[in-house]
Order: sequence, then structure tokens, then C-alpha cells
Amino acid sequence: MKLKVNRKNVTVFEGAEVRHAVLSYLALKGMDVRLADSLTVYDRWGHEIDLGAPASQFDMIKINIPKPKDQ
Amino acid sequence: MRKLFLSILLMLVALTISAQNCKEVHILSINDPHAAIEQFPRLGFVADSLRALYPDLLILSAGDNRSGDPVNDMFEIPAYPMVALMNQVGFHATAVGNHEFDSNQYGLARLITLSAFSTLCANMEPDPKFNMHVKPYQVFDAGGVSVGVLGVTALGSMGTPESHPTRMTDIRFMDPLETIKKYEFLREKCDVVLLLSHLGYETDVKFSAELPWVDIIVGGHSHTQLDGGEIHNGILITQNSKNLPFATHSTLVIKDQKIVEKKAERIALKGQTAVNKTLAELVRYFSENPAFKRALAVAETPMNKEELGCMVCDAYLAETGADLSYQNAGGVRIEAHETGDMTVGDVMKMDPFQNDAVEVFCTGKELADMLISCYNNDKQRFPYVGGFTCEVTYDPADGKVKKLVLLDKAGKKLNLKKTYRVVSNSYTVAVSPTNRKDEGKSIGITTPDLIKNYLEHQGKINYQGRRCLKENK
Repeated sequence: MKLKVNRKNVTVFEGAEVRHAVLSYLALKGMDVRLADSLTVYDRWGHEIDLGAPASQFDMIKINIPKPKDQ
Repeated sequence: MRKLFLSILLMLVALTISAQNCKEVHILSINDPHAAIEQFPRLGFVADSLRALYPDLLILSAGDNRSGDPVNDMFEIPAYPMVALMNQVGFHATAVGNHEFDSNQYGLARLITLSAFSTLCANMEPDPKFNMHVKPYQVFDAGGVSVGVLGVTALGSMGTPESHPTRMTDIRFMDPLETIKKYEFLREKCDVVLLLSHLGYETDVKFSAELPWVDIIVGGHSHTQLDGGEIHNGILITQNSKNLPFATHSTLVIKDQKIVEKKAERIALKGQTAVNKTLAELVRYFSENPAFKRALAVAETPMNKEELGCMVCDAYLAETGADLSYQNAGGVRIEAHETGDMTVGDVMKMDPFQNDAVEVFCTGKELADMLISCYNNDKQRFPYVGGFTCEVTYDPADGKVKKLVLLDKAGKKLNLKKTYRVVSNSYTVAVSPTNRKDEGKSIGITTPDLIKNYLEHQGKINYQGRRCLKENK
């Protein structure tokens, strides 16, 4: 099952939740997967969705990755 | 003077008649609570408060009431605590979510029997042998206003709700939209038609264009957080995120048998202090369930973390019939276990995440890539494995995997071209993205359930000295 996370194609297993798409996205981007639980996820309309939502309900989602603060 | 008096009297009579023609329907709805029993004392308070204002309040759930908290899902009658709490709140009806099937057909039938509310789903037909009391719709009298509530559930790519297929054997599922259209007669029969939908927000919006005879869709499944409700094609649509951060209070104003106003507001449940004390006591009772102290097996020796990891991987193999298994090291949440009973509570502590088991058909080479990917994304901790062992050498400069050898049970190199059925948990598979051919599939059982079943089947376990990894740093 494929969906776009922040315009990047992500493949997840059948039956996956949004959480798994976000985790795979972070892993593919080489980012810390522990970020996943602190992120807010939105559907294509800009509604907030939670990480437990079935990934099959979406063909694209958006997450805002916090930028590291300047030292 | 007399004329003025008569005019005022006539105005009052007109206002009274007008008020009699104007009625309101109030609905308190939730969706996808996923066993968030801790929110029920607050939900009960909100229900009590609204009922004091609107005695004919309808209380509905759009489904997925269970699956999310072992306190509920591992109860002696799985998911009974949620039913008991919903009975106490005074729910009128629930839709059938895909997770309602998580304790199979007989489990669902039993829960429905124990429910004081109706279970509504028009697009499923269970075999009579299950004695499953599911109705397509029910008409409720809300203070003289007839409200027809029609239930419907989403079907996945297999044509069944997203749960393990064996849990839906001998239940016939029908296309949701075609089925809903068969109930258009409810428009003639009722003042208000409400679709109690476990279809997801996008489907609700899409269907609204084809269902002008529906007044309101109380939705669930996609966990979409709306700001109360939205009007699409004249239909009010509501939905909230899972675990009950909010409930929705919808109001429909009916004048001269026509709905003249529809609105919805969300009511915060999380973090609020005023609660229904009876429900708080019930939640406390369920949370202190002695069933969690039940021994599943006896550990004949103390177990360290790697031995526990090996045991988890063995559970995946034994309970799913997989060829090979693996588990991220960070997912084993206890460091050790002493000799003695291993209880339900121990399993909940060891694997508290309620992850699904996922199967992937992959070659030995693809598996090696997944293990390395998992290592890189799990704080450079190599995953535990079952059905084979690993010899892994790290680059001392950056800790990356320099060399990885997979060995079968006889100590010979694993065939890297052969395809194996590999089982892991959903988190581990998600943090192991690779270019493998098979993306994998959830097998519809949680990993703590696999471990629980494995321990019960074993009775006694002894993992002393068991190693699945040889690491050269």
C-alpha cells in the first residue's frame, strides 16, 4: 500500500496505521523515529488525524517536522 | 385597552403554537474510542449534564469501541469493560467498526448480547448460527421526533472490514453505498435520518453527494478531527480523533416537520476534572482486574533481555507458523524476569504497545536488509531473531553494520535467494523500510496476544544461555 507523506512516496504493509507511514517516512529520511509520537498529522484537507488512523483511508498526509533550534 | 389585551393574547397564542411546531433533537456522539475507558467518567458527566437539559438526548457511537487497552481487550470476556461502561452512560446505539471483529464472530455476538444498546450495521449479514443481534437500522423517539439511525461499516480491499479474515467467516458483507440506498424509505418514515457511519471522513463526504435524503452523518474510522461538524451537500458530518479527546453534541432544529438548522460542537473530554463517580469506580474496578496476575507459564530460570527477546521471536514462530521472525530490541520493555510465574501483567509490561503481527514474504537477502534498516532506526540496537541466528560485525568508527551473516538452525549460512515467511511486529516492520518486493500484511492479531498464547501452550519455559546474536564490536 502506497501513500505520500509530505510528497514522498512511502510503502507500508496492508493493515498499517498512519503511525507506520510516519515511522517509515522518518526512517527513509534518516530522521529519529522517536519523533513520530510528537508530530501532528494532517489529511489533504488540513484536518488533524491521529497516528492510529488506518493508513488505507489516505492517499496523502502531511506532517510538520520541527526545525532544530539554532544553537 | 381591551384591543391591546386581545392583541397580546393572540401574539402569545401564536408564539405557543410556533414553539409547539419547533422541536430540537440533541445527539451526543463518539467515534473510535478504542477502549479509552479512562475517558468514560468524564463522558458520563457530559452525558448526564446534557440529559438534564435535553431529557431525550440520543447517545451514539460510530464504532471501533474496543482494541487499544489490554485492560479492556484482555478481560475474561474480551472487551466487556467497554460494553459495561457504555451501558452505564446510556448509549442508544453503536455502529460496527472493523475492530469490533477482533474477538471473532462469537466474541462479537456475546458482547452484543451483553449490550443494553443496539448494534446497527446494514451492510453485514451474519450467519444465524452466531446468534448475532445486528440490526440494519432503528427508529428512536426523541421527544416526539422520530430519528431513523442507519448503521454501516467500511470494507477493505478484501471486501470485508479490516480485521483477520477468519474472524469474519460466514458473515456476508455488502457494498456500503448500494446498501444505504436501499433504506431511502426511512425518509418517509422518520423526521430525521442519521447515518451512523464507520466509513471514514472522505467516504462520508463522497457519499453525501448521493444521499440527499440523509440529514446527518455521525462518522468514524479515519479518526479525522473536525471542529464540531461540517456541512457537505447539505448533510452535517461529524467525527473526532480516536481515544475520546472530544465528544460531539449535535443539534437539529425542526420546524413544521422540516429541519431548519443543523449544528455541532465538540466537547473536550481529556484533561477535564468533573466526572461521573459511578463510572470512575467502574473504571477503577476494571483497571485492578486480578486476571492480570494470572500465570501463563513458569519460567524455570531467570531471563535476561536477550533471552526474553529470543522467547518473543519463538512466540511469533510457534503461534503463526512462520519460517523466521525478528523483533526490534527496543520493543522488549523489561530488562529481566526472575524465575517463577510469567503472568498476563508481565506480558503487558514486556510488550505494552498492542502492535499487530505482520507477515512479510522475503528472500534471505531482503531479510538481511530489513535487519540492518531496523538496527539503524532503533538506536543502533540489533533486533532479536527467531528460527535463525546472526553474526554481526560493526564498524567501530560509526557503529554501522560492516558484515552480517545469517545462520540457520544447523549453523549453516541461510540461503539468501530463498523466500521465507517472516513475522515481526508492525512497529519493527515500519522502521525497516527497504526495497523488498512484498510490503507485508497485518495478520490481525496483536503481538502480546501471540506471546500470551505461546506461554499458555508451553506451560514451562527455559531460555537459560539462549543466544540469537553474536556481535563483534
